[in-house]
Amino acid sequence: MADPAEDLPEAAVRRFSSGAFSSGLTVPDFAACLQLGLQPVGLVQGFCVMQWGWYGSGSSYMRGANPYSMGGQTAGAYSESYRCPHGYVSAEHRMWGQNLEQPWVEQAWSSGYHSAYARMLEEATALGAHGVIGVVDRVTQVSDSQTSEFHFLGTAVTVDDGPPPAGGTPWTTYLAGQRLTKSIEAGFMPIAVVASMASVRVWAYCITEYLMEGGRGWGNPNQVQEVEQVTKAHMAVRQLARKHVRQQLVGDALHGVEIDVVKRELAQGDEVIDCTIRGNRVRRFKDFDNVPAPRPTVRLS
Amino acid sequence: MSAENGTTPAATPAATPSELKAEMLRGAQSVATAPAPNKNRGITSDLSIDEALLLHAAGWEPVDLVCGVSIASVPYGVWTWGQGEISTASTAHNAAVQGASNRILEECRKVHGHGVVGVRIEVEVRNHHIDVELVGTAVRPVGDASPPALPFVSDLSARDFTLLKGAGWMPAGLAFGASFVYAPRRSAGAAMQQKTQNIELTNFTQAMYAARESAMERMQQSAINVGGHGVVGVKVTEGPMSFARHAVGFTAWGTTVKLVADVHKNITPQVILPLDDAVVTFAAQNLRGS
Amino acid sequence: MTQPADLPKDATHRLEELEHGLFTSDLSVNEFLLVKEAGFHPLGFVMGSSIYHIGLQTRKWGESQELTKLTEAMYTARELAMTRMEEEAEELGADGVVGVRLDVNYYEWGSDSAEFIAFGTAVKAEDGTSYKNALGKPFTSDLSGQDFWTLLQTGHVPQGLVMGTCVYHIAHRKLTQALGSVGQNVELPNFTQALYEARELAMTRMQDEASQLNASGIVGVRLEEKSHQWGSHTIEFLSLGTAVTKTTGEVTLPTPLTIISLDN
Repeated sequence: MADPAEDLPEAAVRRFSSGAFSSGLTVPDFAACLQLGLQPVGLVQGFCVMQWGWYGSGSSYMRGANPYSMGGQTAGAYSESYRCPHGYVSAEHRMWGQNLEQPWVEQAWSSGYHSAYARMLEEATALGAHGVIGVVDRVTQVSDSQTSEFHFLGTAVTVDDGPPPAGGTPWTTYLAGQRLTKSIEAGFMPIAVVASMASVRVWAYCITEYLMEGGRGWGNPNQVQEVEQVTKAHMAVRQLARKHVRQQLVGDALHGVEIDVVKRELAQGDEVIDCTIRGNRVRRFKDFDNVPAPRPTVRLS
Repeated sequence: MSAENGTTPAATPAATPSELKAEMLRGAQSVATAPAPNKNRGITSDLSIDEALLLHAAGWEPVDLVCGVSIASVPYGVWTWGQGEISTASTAHNAAVQGASNRILEECRKVHGHGVVGVRIEVEVRNHHIDVELVGTAVRPVGDASPPALPFVSDLSARDFTLLKGAGWMPAGLAFGASFVYAPRRSAGAAMQQKTQNIELTNFTQAMYAARESAMERMQQSAINVGGHGVVGVKVTEGPMSFARHAVGFTAWGTTVKLVADVHKNITPQVILPLDDAVVTFAAQNLRGS
Repeated sequence: MTQPADLPKDATHRLEELEHGLFTSDLSVNEFLLVKEAGFHPLGFVMGSSIYHIGLQTRKWGESQELTKLTEAMYTARELAMTRMEEEAEELGADGVVGVRLDVNYYEWGSDSAEFIAFGTAVKAEDGTSYKNALGKPFTSDLSGQDFWTLLQTGHVPQGLVMGTCVYHIAHRKLTQALGSVGQNVELPNFTQALYEARELAMTRMQDEASQLNASGIVGVRLEEKSHQWGSHTIEFLSLGTAVTKTTGEVTLPTPLTIISLDN
């Protein structure tokens, strides 16, 4: 594997060799950090721009086509088909629909995320850090060009008298300051920030299209009913995201989870649903000690 | 069950600085070597560390993140101006919330949770469909894997759950009610007559009042249906539909609670006087701009 | 008890359910626990509303004056909403209403009209003492649960939400006056006088209401200024507070603990 320092931008190398540290910690967080015996050694970041998608993936001409039907890769885990019950054949009437997981999108996201994360860890390792706290991560879509930027920022720290972490990879956490202190006191050691994403594409069939677009006739009952295809897709995307995250946990716990769902509605009832889950992977290092029962108070300010 | 009786596990006194450093060192040492293979399922929870600790202090633990989603279609022509209540819209809203609640309860049961706390509720009313999403963390008394017959769903934060539990109350479910109504019309003549007067518009008042009360009443009914004694944290929202401004929707949400102890236990708070001034704190997010 | 004549059918049905033992409240969990701590139990969420058409009032462009017709409208509309809310509370047998909020809503289809709504949680003392005010009605107050508890600890009880309103039109300046002061640091006497007078009117009216309740003081006074839909030279000044009286009880508020919080 290449010398980590070769991969970093030249500016980063200059910044690190200056000796003084910079940190993204607020004053109270800085105080709490020193209390824990953590010394900040520098502000570290990682960045990556990814593009994915393949030609024609949004077009209705290639409806139902995907890299699997065209290429010969292994199929995605989740898919569900729907057939029109009407028996009416026409170019306008969609006889067939499908909910389809899009593993190519998921892999591209994962690749971008982990590259940016790895670069942040490289910078931390170059500083000799044991861990990175107060991580802030951000994914931005760059307009409609199916390009995303992944950016990580954190404060690298060393543990007073502490050993280097396993495999030379610093541990990371979103927490800093008092919240990190409480987590350690309660017996949870941060391992890494973990995130995963699932993407499901809804190709609507006739019933779904009518229900979502308010169309009449064609057996659309004039009564309230659940839109089964889209509902199932929403449930599936969230379950898949959790499943993917669990694979990365290897039995550890995930705390402070944030779940974000973004839905892009395309015409005629079709949608793409992306679900991202992130959190702190932690492991118990001692039996649970209860923190003292909190006292209820009323402020007079 | 000790947690149900209101007794909390024995608490240890707060750590001194040298103890904190020792803890951190122990933690760091524990990850210096590769861990033994772990067959646990691994819990996921969207509770913050403060909430997770409060929950533990009450003798409960998080089990898993759970969600429920439902999308109910609204038939064509429902929003066209008419008279009185738009009952189809109310039915659709109700159906969507019920559907989402059922699914989140199903997920809770699958992981043997006793209930779901901190549920985040997102409702979007669109022209042709109403979407409801619920996300929360399933919880249970520590180590108790036997599920109760009817787990609860509540939008109480873990903190509020712990406080209520300490006072002898338990959440029984999510209380909600909705009603949609058409704004009544005023004849041109009446409008002209009223131009210079200060006068109450009784038609309008009746219509809006009735719709608001109706939403509240349905909320109360949903509380009675689960055998609750009361509803706390009622939030009433109202407003015209963005796609049909003559249609106004009212919703009422709250948490249904039940007194499980014999009597309510008082909490006796301590009065404090903080000496901080409000300061603008610097945060790492600001370094990124945007 | 006779049905309050003013409330819609749906309200009475809902209130009946509350009388059968179910309680509802828009108190947060913190407030709920503190209200219980103070010796009160929530009975139900009560509300009153009124959609009021506010008549046109002509005003002189160059004169600062109170627009009495508009003042009356804003006052009456809020009173109607508050009275209906109090009726709901009385129906439940409440001693008072806490956490009262007054809102104004505008709808696009009702020009010159607005909806005035009053919300709150009706409460009743658990030991049976009556806390009704000098007029024999349940007290109303915009105090939160925390403030309610703290107030009771100081030996005072709320009597009612008191308000004073004044809709004032501020004279436009003549062109010569405006040109004369371009580029200078100068006090604008028109504005100063107008705003001063308007605020005083609002506060005096509020204090008059408090005297009617035989109150010894007003706490938590808020002065709000809104232009509603009238343009920037017409402002409503609304002064709100909770009138209180001292009870014979002693002050039981314990010495507070001073702290420096380390949490952000």
